[in-house]
Formats: sequence, structure tokens, C-alpha cells
Amino acid sequence: MTKRTPMGMKRRQFLRGIGVCMALPALESMQSAKALAFHPTELAITASGAPLRTAFIYFPNGAIPAAWWPAATAGGGDAKSYAISQTLKPLEPLRDSIQVLKGLDNLSADGGRDGGGDHARGNGTFLTGVRLKKSASDIQAGVSIDQVIAKSVGDSTRFASLEMTCDSKRQTSGCDSGYSCAYQYNISWSSATTPMSPESNPRSIFERLFGAGNPGERNDSLARRRNEQKSVLDFVLEDARSMQRRLPSSDRDKLGQYLDGIRDIEKRIEKSERFGAAKDPEIETPAGVPDTYEKYIQLTYDLLFLAFQTDSTRVASLLLAHDGSNRSFDHIGIVEGHHDLTHHQNKVEQIKKVQEIDQWYVRMFSGFLDKLARAEDVDGKSLLYNSMIIYGSGNADGNRHTHSDLPIVLAGNAGGALTPGRFVDHRSKPLTNLYLSMADRMGVQDLKRFGDSTDRLGDL
Amino acid sequence: MMNCGYASRNLTAISCFSLVAAVCFGSGLRAGETDKYETQIRPILVENCYGCHAGGEKNGNIALDEFEGDVRQSPALWQKVLVQLRSRSMPPLGEAGPSEDQRTLTMSWIKSDVFKHDPTRPDPGVVTVRRLNRIEYRNTIRDLLGVDYDTNANFPSDDTGYGFDNIADVLTVSPLLLEKYISAAKAIVNQAVPIVSGVAPRRTIPGGEFIKEVKNDGLAKLLNELASKDETPGNRFGRPVQGPPKDDPMLLTMSYKEHTIGKLTTNVNSEGRYAIEVNLKAAEQFVDNIFDYNRCTLTFRVDDELLVNREFVRQGNEDLSMTFDIRMEAGDHNLVFEVIPTTPDQPQVRYLRLIVKNVTLIGPAGDAYLVPPLNYARYFPKPVPKSTSERREYAGELLGQFVTKAYRRPVDNKTIDRLVSLAESVYGNGKETFESGIAQSMTAVLASPRFLFREEGFVPDADGGHPWVDDYSLATRLSYFLWSTMPDQELFQLAAQGDLRTNLDSQVDRMMNDARSSAFFQNFVGQWLQSREVESVTIDSGAVARRESEARPGMNATSDVDLERRNFLRNKPASELTDAEKLELEKLQNFRQAFGSRNRGPNFDEKVRRAMRSETELLFQHVLKNDLPLTDLIDCNYAFLNEELAKFYEIPMLESLNGNEMRLVKLPEGSLRGGILTQGTFLAVTSNPNRTSPVKRGLFILENVLGSPIAAPPPNIPSLEDASKQRDGKTLSLRETLAIHRENAVCSSCHNKMDPLGLAFENFNALGRYREKEFGKTIDVAGMLSSGEKFSSVTQLKKAIVDNHKQEVYYCLAEKMMTYALGRGLDFRDNYALDNIVQRIEQSGGKAKALLIGVVNSPQFLKTRIKVAYASSLRE
Repeated sequence: MTKRTPMGMKRRQFLRGIGVCMALPALESMQSAKALAFHPTELAITASGAPLRTAFIYFPNGAIPAAWWPAATAGGGDAKSYAISQTLKPLEPLRDSIQVLKGLDNLSADGGRDGGGDHARGNGTFLTGVRLKKSASDIQAGVSIDQVIAKSVGDSTRFASLEMTCDSKRQTSGCDSGYSCAYQYNISWSSATTPMSPESNPRSIFERLFGAGNPGERNDSLARRRNEQKSVLDFVLEDARSMQRRLPSSDRDKLGQYLDGIRDIEKRIEKSERFGAAKDPEIETPAGVPDTYEKYIQLTYDLLFLAFQTDSTRVASLLLAHDGSNRSFDHIGIVEGHHDLTHHQNKVEQIKKVQEIDQWYVRMFSGFLDKLARAEDVDGKSLLYNSMIIYGSGNADGNRHTHSDLPIVLAGNAGGALTPGRFVDHRSKPLTNLYLSMADRMGVQDLKRFGDSTDRLGDL
Repeated sequence: MMNCGYASRNLTAISCFSLVAAVCFGSGLRAGETDKYETQIRPILVENCYGCHAGGEKNGNIALDEFEGDVRQSPALWQKVLVQLRSRSMPPLGEAGPSEDQRTLTMSWIKSDVFKHDPTRPDPGVVTVRRLNRIEYRNTIRDLLGVDYDTNANFPSDDTGYGFDNIADVLTVSPLLLEKYISAAKAIVNQAVPIVSGVAPRRTIPGGEFIKEVKNDGLAKLLNELASKDETPGNRFGRPVQGPPKDDPMLLTMSYKEHTIGKLTTNVNSEGRYAIEVNLKAAEQFVDNIFDYNRCTLTFRVDDELLVNREFVRQGNEDLSMTFDIRMEAGDHNLVFEVIPTTPDQPQVRYLRLIVKNVTLIGPAGDAYLVPPLNYARYFPKPVPKSTSERREYAGELLGQFVTKAYRRPVDNKTIDRLVSLAESVYGNGKETFESGIAQSMTAVLASPRFLFREEGFVPDADGGHPWVDDYSLATRLSYFLWSTMPDQELFQLAAQGDLRTNLDSQVDRMMNDARSSAFFQNFVGQWLQSREVESVTIDSGAVARRESEARPGMNATSDVDLERRNFLRNKPASELTDAEKLELEKLQNFRQAFGSRNRGPNFDEKVRRAMRSETELLFQHVLKNDLPLTDLIDCNYAFLNEELAKFYEIPMLESLNGNEMRLVKLPEGSLRGGILTQGTFLAVTSNPNRTSPVKRGLFILENVLGSPIAAPPPNIPSLEDASKQRDGKTLSLRETLAIHRENAVCSSCHNKMDPLGLAFENFNALGRYREKEFGKTIDVAGMLSSGEKFSSVTQLKKAIVDNHKQEVYYCLAEKMMTYALGRGLDFRDNYALDNIVQRIEQSGGKAKALLIGVVNSPQFLKTRIKVAYASSLRE
């Protein structure tokens, strides 16, 4: 502990470390490509053979529509010539790498007979397109697109997927209008009843990816953790077998379920051993949750960048804040709560503040894209070129709780499989159509439908 | 879905028989054996039942002349017949039924010939090996390691079967759950078990120990003046904002609006480096749509050193933790917080305040100062020895004790050896401590199926009956039944001595008097009567209130839609509203004003819900602990209430009822309340979000109180909401709607039973509050039971149940409790046990303890149907 320095100093060192890391991307990633050679696959690979990555980034409470949407292109002409909108202005330097997608709806988040609870629904259905069961205890959602992709391509990397959030504290009861809090704090779901709880502590994310301890010690610590895990598994496996022998046959099913689960975990450990030593980014481990929100979000984006750069995973989701989040943004002069403000009653002053928050979130995102754009991948293209990143919210107009015309930006070229640099109005198509088309590009086979999808989304 | 007569789950099977039945009828009967059926039983059936249940007639899906093979091969069908005969519910009112002799004869034939019950060797049935459910896991961890692990947040919810969440067959282990078990094991052991022998000393000073001083200086005066000029803040519904909550004496609370100092002098024994941890919360009272722009500066000093100097705006109840590294001399030190308001002219809306939870002093740093960590002696009673062999021996001792408790039975040496080796593999390399090795082995124990599942052992019955479960298993059955947790020391000890079975009744008494028995009332009663659900059931009190308001404009009664629509319109820019929309908005707003929040009566809030839940649990507890008649559950002249609930029910204030505590009170003369059926729990959990549901209420009583299950409705039936609610241009009451519903013969056979029961409770709305009118019309509650008793009030209905149907209530309760105790659904083989329990209850004059003692002493609870060979193979 350094004198009188709560958290801040170490982070600066950490960021410097990332700078170093960025200086040698090609070499680092070459090694990752070699590692891949053990597992030849068509999955999550670009046309040039580089890794293809996808991320889903969620910002809360929608965006002021008038300030988010670019004016329609003149006479429906060239989609490339649109004028960037006020809220998206921070993305101007990257406009050739992004697509602004209009006309995508998520009807499964509409109230219908379920009444209130649009924040829970917007959040909990964003990546699933499946209606939520309105219940505080009996959770029923859907499988999210990131998990569908991860199930297909996850074997190519050390981690099948990565789930992160910058909401460090989560409520566990009394959330939105009788919906379980799980809906509001998770966007990623591995099954209808199983949220993939996102990790909020940057330190834990880092240690999970690269191991604990100082640079150089991390692989040892990962190996030790694996061994500990294995010794626990060995022990319980023998307990289970001995119990299996003693139990009457009618009970053996129960133990069978247990044994199956253990084998699953063993397989995962074997897999991580197969990949050999994790790449050590050789920078200092982040200390924990930084003391300001801005640093927190930047650091989390940095970790996502590192995970992609080291090819630790190709699928990620990041919940910047849960929908309904009411934090204040005093660092940009806004002390009211975000959610409070979104119900602006058409007061100009309030609308302006919400718009500033929307834009601030976009600025953070553009910083992340910028880093990806500057990092070179194995094929000489940028990491951004070889990525496919959704930035969006499950509410369109936070004031009216609408879920049509959701604010969605799709960044990256997917290694040439996307045509960014445009503003395209898809005119009332399910958002899940877009996901289906993304899954195709990631190499997911035979996915006929997803959520409430009606078709693939053309013109991407 | 749970039915007291366990009939409905066999319905599908029965309807399948009928397809082939006619062809096969009679073909499997062998001469001699069937004589009794043909000569004695069948004639009774022909005379009394065949009119509706033979020759193609299949009322209630029961046909008594269509059997595949031997009639005695259909126990599930005969089970239904038995229940009907037992409760005298068949034949229906007005039709001649069997004589008492015929009834007894048929019932005993079913028991002896169909169920083949052998009184000398009763069949205890088999319980599948049971996994701990979320609640049991949490309680077990609490008792084993003193850690409260939030399983609701960390584990997926458990499936339920037969109405309970402890049913072995449906408690599965998914790969995900297994992963959660392993990470839970790690997290729990991390939290509980120290992995080093020494840590820096740690002293936590609660915020409340700071001496708070609000400066009465110029600034404060100015603030007071400004405050008096403030308009009373209010939210957009015009409700006044609550004042700030009372300060918690354990915390130091400082308002953003007051110049405040919090001081404390503390003594430090040794000079050295210390870490100081400041734990804060920035709190506010939420107010809809009015913001609070106040700011303040917070400083924190240790002596003259300024450690915090930071401006705060509202933070939305965020927790903050800051740590500083400083050097301190031995002696006294002053710790000073100061809050300086920086926005004196801002109105105070949300009572922004900084709360110091505590200041923790960690140090001095250095090996010389290390102290044993919290709880060290609990896990490591002796200093860790140096030599390998002594360490091994110590590890064996520690782990042997732990694993015995965790597996709830003595554990073989081989297992303990494996645990010791596991620990050694961790600490043996010299990089990790001895303690971390032990912790690692403890993690393995908590992840083992022998901890997660309740494995049982058996001992042969010397008299040739089915084997007993051994004493350790019995201890475990008892403790999970009555406490939802692992056995305590006394149960272990009795099991070890082999004395548990002989001390059963006194142990049950002891356990019921232990605080842990609250789990029984929460979980058994909470699920049997669904009172656990009252805390989460969705009911819109506005919609309920609107049904009871006299002048109801021609508007949709489902309020959510209204509200959403109004908000939608109100938030639309005025320039975009069409004329029609403007008119609609005005109408909606007027309506809300007239029937908005102020007319809803008391809030159906968390406090009321919690009080309702404990009202139900406490009544059952009271009846059981004082060994009162079980019929008190149905009808009694007392209740458990607190001030809030009494007000909610509008029971004339009883003097003793002040405050939050639930108290036993005598109800006023003539009160409709008393008993579970007039409690908020039953009345609310059986309601729809916007209205009562007499059908659900009737069904609940049939299934959970009278044990007379109803077949599921045929498919493709429109819901009540879709059925016509308008006739001759006027809106119909629920009673009228239901009456139309019953005109249909398909509906009437069941609804004639359900509806009158449910309609009797119409004086209680969906929130459980009393009312006399709905939509301006006086409510009529009169009706008749399917057994013929007429009633004109809910009091008379309760009396009819107590006077004429108590045996049905006993059977129902016995079955529910047995299901919960065993963790399995019952079948026809369990009838004799239920008969014995009900007999015991009747002999005791209907007392409650007879029920509990009856369940615990049943062969079902004490024994198992299993090959004795397993008993000996259990010990490795």
C-alpha cells in the first residue's frame, strides 16, 4: 500500500503497461495463431485466417432519439454520406469502421400483458429476444446470442466467453416491478434459467485471464490453481464412486448426474492445459475497482482489449450499467440520477443532460474502438477490422420505455464480411435478425432461428 | 401440483386404460381369488356407482367397469374410490349411497385385496437419496461453519414436486449446479477458515462511537433560515416527502446541509505503520422526479494529517471504502470527520447524508505484532506442529472431526487418509501454509456428494420387518424435517449411543422448542399454505380498490394498462398529441385523481406482507406447541397480529397491539377472522393481480384443506376473463359470471364444488381486506357445500368444516406433513400409515401433537423398503 493513495496510482502504471503491450501486437498474436494450428477450425476466423472476435456492449436507459439518429440521407441516396449525429460525434474519426443501424426492434421487451418493468425487460431480453417470465424468484429468460456463439466457437480459445460489467454493486431484491434482479443485472444467459453473472472486479477479470501475482509468476499460479482444482475433483470423484457402489440402483441416476457434471469440469481443465501457458501481458495487475466511474469503464475496456489482443477469447459481453441505473455523472457536471433524468417530462434542461450522458458513454466506447483500430492483428489488419462489436441499449427512448428503433451501433469489418461506414435503416426488423447474421459470420452452423428472429438481416 | 388424495397425477394413466379396457374386461380374473370382488364388492358398485361410472359413463374420468386385467391391478383408481368413500363425497348429494356396512366393506376390501397391505409387515416405501435444497444447504453451512452463504443469489432455484421443494426425485444436479457447488465450497471455506496463523491486528471503530457535533455557527443559522423558506417538497403525485430516517446509533450520520464534526480519540499501543480503512455510504431518500443539487465537502484527519478532502454530490446510496497507509506513534490520536455544506441555497429534497459505517485500524505492520485471525481457535485449537508426522496426525484429527460432522455420520479411515493426503499436497511444498492445506481439504468435503446428498444407512429389523434406517440417518431425517438443517451435538450423541429411536418423542419435543424449529413453520407451513408466496405475489392495490369504488366510470378495470397509457400520453410532447389523445389523457387523469393512490387505503407493502406470513406461521406454531385441536387452524377466536396488520384488516384496535411485534390477541366478538382461511396469506395468494378468484380459492381449500382433489379442466376452455361478462348490456358480478359458467354441464361437476367455497370468501378482496360491495353492489356469500350444509357467512362455512369434515382435514394434514417429512410423494401403499396417524389424532381428541408424533413414529419415517444386504455394505 502506498501512502495515501486509494487505488489510483496503480492504475496509471497499469495503463502504461498496456501501452507497452500495444507496441508488440504482431509478434504476440502470431504466437496465438500458431497455438491455433493445433485445432484447425473454420470457426471464428476471418477470410485471411485471423481470429474473428465479437463483443456485445450494453449501455443503460436508451438514448435521446432526436440526438442519436443521424438525419436521413438526402433522397435515400448514398448511405455513406450521412452526417453524424450529435450523440455519436465522438465516433466521427472512426466513421469508416462503424455502421449506425436503425429500424431494429425488440418486441419481446414490450409490456404486453406483463405491465411495468421495461428496464428489467429491456436488459434481460437484449441478447435473447425471448420474453421474460414476470417473477421475482422463478427465473425464465432465454439463451443469449453470445452464449450461442460461444458454444460453437468457444473451443478455439482459452475462454469460451468473457462476461463483464462496470456495476460493482448489484441489488438482489426489490428490482423492477416484480421482475427478478437477475434480469436487470445480466445480459448473457447460458440457459433460460442460468444467467452468466458478469465479473465486476477488474482485478478478478485480469487474474482469471492471466493468473495471479506479479508478471512472471502468473502461469505458476494458474497451474497451481488447476492442480488444486484437480485434487478436489479427484477426491469427490472417489467419494461419488464409493457412494455409487453403496446405493440401491434406483438412486444411481442421482449420482450419475453428479458424475457427469464432474467430468464436464475435468474436460474444461484439460482443455485449458492443452492451450499451454497463458500469455502474460507483463504488466501490473489492476488493484481493484478504480475510484471513478470513468477510470472504471476505461479499465474494463482495456481488459476487453487485452483479452482480444491475446486471443484469450473471441466472444465477450459487457454490461456498462444495468438498465434503470441511477448513478450521477458529477464528473461531467450532472448530479441527478441517470434514470431519474430520462423521465424528462419534455423539459429541455433534462433532455440536454441525458443527451450529455449518452454522449459520454459513446466517448468511452470510441476510446475502446480507437485502441482496437491502432492494434495490428496477425494478418496486418487492425484488431477492429477483424472484429464485430455491438454497442446498444434495450430501451430506445428511456422516457417512454420504447423498444423499437433501438439505438445500435455495429463496429468493425468482421475481417471484410461487413460493410461499415454507413447509416442504414432496416425498417422494423427484429434485432435478433442481426444476431443471426452475426452468428453466421462467426461460423455458427445450422442456426435456423434465434429468439424472435424472422430472417437473416441483409445489407450489413 | 399437489392433491391431498394424490389422484390427479394418475389421471393420464387411467384414461389410457379405457381404450383397451372393454376388450380385456374380466380376462385376467382367476376363479376363487375374485370371489370376494364378484360376490360382495361388485354388487355394491353396481347398486351405487355404476349409474355414472360404468357402461360408457365416465364422470370425473372414472369408470368402474373398464379394467385391463385383474381389477386389483389398478391401485391408483381404487385409491380415488377410497378417498371418495372415506370422505363420503360420493355419491353426490341427493342420490342414494351405500350403507355404512357396504362402505366399510368396500374400503377394507380395497386395502387388503387391492393394496395388499400386510399389517404384520407394513411397507415403509423408498426415499430416493436426497440432495440438500437451497434452504437446507444454507442452514447446514451456517451450523457447520458459521457462514451465511446466500444460496438464493448463488444457486438456481430448486424444482418443487407435490407442492414442496424438498422432494428427492425432482432435486436434480445439473452440471451448472455442480460448478456452483464447487465455487460455493471455495467461497465458504475462504470466508470461514483462516489460512495463516497470524495477521495484523485489526480494530473496527463503529461510526456511532464518534462524537457528533452540529456547528451552530453563522452557516448553520443561514441554513435554518433557508430551510424554513423552503416549500414543502413533494413528489408529482402531491404526496409529501418523508422526513429523514432516524439516525442509527451505530453509525455516524452527517447531513450535506449541516456543518458537522465527528470526533474520536483513540489509543494506539505501539508505534508503527497502520492501514486505516474508512467505510462510508452516501445515502439519500428517493423522491420521484425532484432532484437534490446539494453538495458538501468531506474531510477526514488523523491528528493533523489530512487524509480525505473530497466534494460529494448525491451518490445514489453508494458504498465507498478508502484505505490509507500511515505511521502512528504510541499514544492518543484524534480522528476527525468534518462535513462542510457548499450549497447553502439549494433546497433540501432528498436528505442527502454521509454515513460513516466504521473506521478500521489495521496494524501495526510487522511479524512481531501478528495475532491469530478471527475464528482461528475454532478451526485450529492447537499451534501447528513442526514435524511432518506430527502435522499429519494433527491434520487427521482436524479433518476427521470436520468430515464426520459434514457427512453427518462416522467416516471410514480411508476417506480421512485421502483428505490428509490432499492437505499435504498443498502444504507439503513449503509454499503454502498448513492451514491452507486443511482449507483445501475442507473445500473438497463441501463439494463431495456425501455432503450434498443425504446418504442413509440401514440396520436389519430383528423381527423380520423391513430394515430400520440407522440412528445417524434417523438423526438426519429428524433434523432436516424439523429444522431444515444438520443434526446438532445432542442428536449426534444419541445416534452414536444407539439411543435415538428410544428417545424419539422427547427429542421431537426438544427440537420443537428450539429456535431452529422456525424453519419447519417457514418451510412446511409456508409451502403447504403457500404463505411463503405472499411476500412476492403481484397484486395491484389500485386495481383492487377501483373495483370497490362506487362511482366507476366506464373504464377498463385493469389499471396497469390505464397507467401505462396515461404515462405514455403525458410524456409525449404536447404538440404531437392529437385531439382524441388529449381528451383521453384528460379522462385518464381525472380518473387517476379520483381513484389514485390516495384512495387505495393502506399499502400492501413489504411490512404487511411479512406480517401476514408470520401470522400464518405463528398460528400453526401456537397450535402445535400448545397441543391444541387441529381444527383451531380452521376456526378459532384468536389471531396473531401487529399494529400494522390489525389496521390493514381494519380490526378494531386492540389495546395491546402497538408496534411491530406480532402478538396473540383475542378477536372481537363476531369477527369473521380466525383460522387460516380468513388470513391475508390464503386470501392473497389465491387471487389474480387485479381481483379475487373464487375458483382458485375453492380449489385451494379442496386440495389443501379438505383433501378432495379436482381433476384438471379439459383443454381449450376459455378463461373466465374471456367468457362473456356482459349480459343484456350490464356488467356481471363474479358470482353471476361463475353461475353462467356452471350452466355448462362439463364445468358444473367440479365447479359446483369449488365455486360455492370460493364465493364464501368474497367479502375479502384480493389483498385480504374486508369489503361489503363490489362495483357498488352488495356481495352475496351464501352457498352450500357439495355435502349439503348450507351457509350464509364465512363463519358458518368454517363451522361446517369443523363440525362435519374434520376427518378430511386430518387426512389432508397427515398427507401433507408426511410428504414434507419424507421428501417423496405418497402412494396407495402409504394409506395404512395415514390411517394410523388419523386414528392417533382422533384418539387424542384431535390434538396437534398427535399428528407430528404420528408422522415421526410411522414406519415410513423410521424404516425403508430396501434389501438388507445394503445395510452391511454401507460401512466400508
